[in-house]
Amino acid sequence: MLQISGWLALGLIALAWFFSDIDFSDLFSARRMDNLSRFAERALPDPLRESGEGGSLGAWVTNQMNLYGWRGMGATLGISVIAIVLAGGIGSILGAFGARNLMSAHPFVPHATAGHGACNHALDRVAQVVRILCILLRAIPEYIWAYLLLAMLGSSAWPAILALAIHNSGILGRLGGETIENLASEPLRAMSMAGATRKEIAIAGVFPMALGRYLLYFFYRFETCVREATVLGMLGMVSLGYYIFEARAHDQYDELIFLVILGGLLVMLADILSDLARRWLRRSV
Amino acid sequence: MAKPADLAALGGQESTRRVRVLTGILAAGILAFLGLGLDGSGLLPKGDGASLVREFFVAALQPAWDYEPGGFLPADAPPFLLKVAKGLWGTLVYAIAAISLSFVFGLLLGVLASESFWATRGKAWGVVRWSIRILLTGMRSIHELLWALLLLAALGLSPAAAVLAIFIPYTGTLAKVFSEMLDESDPRPSYALSQIGASQSRVFLFARLPRTLPDIAAYTFYRFECAVRSSAVLGFFGFTTVGLYLKQSFENLHYHEVWTYLYSLILVVLVLEAWSAQLRRRFVV
Repeated sequence: MLQISGWLALGLIALAWFFSDIDFSDLFSARRMDNLSRFAERALPDPLRESGEGGSLGAWVTNQMNLYGWRGMGATLGISVIAIVLAGGIGSILGAFGARNLMSAHPFVPHATAGHGACNHALDRVAQVVRILCILLRAIPEYIWAYLLLAMLGSSAWPAILALAIHNSGILGRLGGETIENLASEPLRAMSMAGATRKEIAIAGVFPMALGRYLLYFFYRFETCVREATVLGMLGMVSLGYYIFEARAHDQYDELIFLVILGGLLVMLADILSDLARRWLRRSV
Repeated sequence: MAKPADLAALGGQESTRRVRVLTGILAAGILAFLGLGLDGSGLLPKGDGASLVREFFVAALQPAWDYEPGGFLPADAPPFLLKVAKGLWGTLVYAIAAISLSFVFGLLLGVLASESFWATRGKAWGVVRWSIRILLTGMRSIHELLWALLLLAALGLSPAAAVLAIFIPYTGTLAKVFSEMLDESDPRPSYALSQIGASQSRVFLFARLPRTLPDIAAYTFYRFECAVRSSAVLGFFGFTTVGLYLKQSFENLHYHEVWTYLYSLILVVLVLEAWSAQLRRRFVV
């Protein structure tokens, strides 16, 4: 299997590089270099171009921030937070219903399923369906979800929020399920043997034990959400992406670069926050 | 084996901490909701939107096998299914090219960004490591779609630009994750090798790196799946991938065609999922 995969992979890579229309030398053709010089010209901020001194740069930056920067960043952050909180909630439910050790007639007791055939089978089916649902939810890129939802719901922040929430629910559902399946089974088995129902085990046993790990995934996805939310604005709802797209449409490459860098800084901020949160969590997990 | 941390999680002390964390997260969500000025009305399709929703979801049950009537069709247009296949292949090609390049550079940069590589080479080299880490953070903080926008503005539409747009952030992410994997891998083989007198470079090359390769491969595969999705979305900007055709069909109101594209994308993801599951079974990571 491994060998076949290896050869298949190499074959695909060769096909992709040599039998497609990818041509890096084309990047350096005259037409493109022309384009590049026009881009570089416009990429220098307006004030610098006109007066040639650095002092006006500060005023230009402040103006940009007041017009687009703060609103864009705030909207981006807001969208990501709501989306990840929603996804976190839905993901935890999907994760629980997709965990095979929880979804069995005798939770966490692997060999005690004799005599519970039908019930066990039904639960297993549910887990399978939930897992496939998670794959389906995340198979469609957030951008496409947002594009479709925008057409259906009109312009507001909701298409972006829902798109991110749906996609990440699938991901967190899968990760949550894996977390539960990898839990240490002794304490949970003890609860099961002592007669606790599945619901009781889930709430009093699985939930506390799995929460730490799940929150690690939660914060990791938060950072990804901020990246995506920045970009979803390009579809038309207010976030940094919207202003970025507008800047490009008006050939204002200096604003374009400024806002893109701003977006990058926002992501780095989220990255640091997410890292801090995860480090704090790791100390206690 | 149940670790002390797992059992502690079930205790009462931890539960106050949990309550605090979860309350904090929920509060953040509510704050964001209020801050954005959202209300539930954005969740309901308005006017035209309602009929669009109905039409769209009904079309889900009958994906198109052939072009839909209405709309412009050039005389030499290929059969519809062939066009779908072409779109998928274009998507895959950009993803494969980008990931293959990202893997090589990601590994290189990942090694250079790891602590274990520079372990005994003297403090001066720390500068190199830190500058690489900063470079990587810059590369991966900007979303591939934003890189695509910049490259489009600078160089125009070109397949190589699509590959570059995916390559830059993905290399940054791969390199960061690889460096963390290398640093966190089991130190015992490295220790054993260095005890019998092997030089630092040999220890790294023959003990640490091989030990981490399965994790590296698994993560690369996961990133490849993400790259396929990113590549699909690039189509919305004009590159010839599934996204382009999907957008065109949607704008022509050919919802059945849109669903064919969606299903084909889901199919690709499912195939990749199955492949990755098979590989994981062999590796038992």
